[in-house]
Amino acid sequence: MGIQIGDKAPDFEAQAYHRGSIKTLQLSQYRKQWVVLLFYPGDFTYV
Amino acid sequence: MAAVAVKYPAFQELGVEVLAVSVDSVTTHKDWHERELCRMVEGGALYPMISDPDGKIGHLFGVYDAKTGLDLRSHFLIDPHEVIQAMEILAAPIGRNVPEILRQLRALQHHQATGDFMPCGWEPGKPTLAEKADASSISGKVWEVWKPRNAF
Repeated sequence: MGIQIGDKAPDFEAQAYHRGSIKTLQLSQYRKQWVVLLFYPGDFTYV
Repeated sequence: MAAVAVKYPAFQELGVEVLAVSVDSVTTHKDWHERELCRMVEGGALYPMISDPDGKIGHLFGVYDAKTGLDLRSHFLIDPHEVIQAMEILAAPIGRNVPEILRQLRALQHHQATGDFMPCGWEPGKPTLAEKADASSISGKVWEVWKPRNAF
């Protein structure tokens, strides 16, 4: 069964491009604030 | 994602961090950001653009499409207790509605702050339902206090 409303968001660690630099971040570092996690199919797409 | 970049200040006003994820490498994110996003939006995208090269993050959230090797267009609203409060998944050709994501955040934040129920189409300034009451107390009496026109 997949993820559901009310579930704790699974933590992850990943590389990110942010304001001109490359960094490693974890979802859990944003705990205590609201987060919008947006997935999209790919860069250079037009939707 | 350019539309999200335009509305980033509105997310910040709500104390919300935006995290964007695709299977592209951080190098491709940088390239796209510099070549296109910065030309579409002044200052470009100020939110982190996360690389999910093997779809591992997408898989964790159930939105990795193994057939295409891409993460599906989707959003998850995660509260300060790390609990998922909303999610939406769209077919790739369909764009999302950024104002609707902001509306959902405002409604969720209002609910968590007050305990109110947030009816269909609620926006700040519109009436809420059963303020500080349990749902059963207005069961069968919603018609007295809420009109469908409030949804639009």
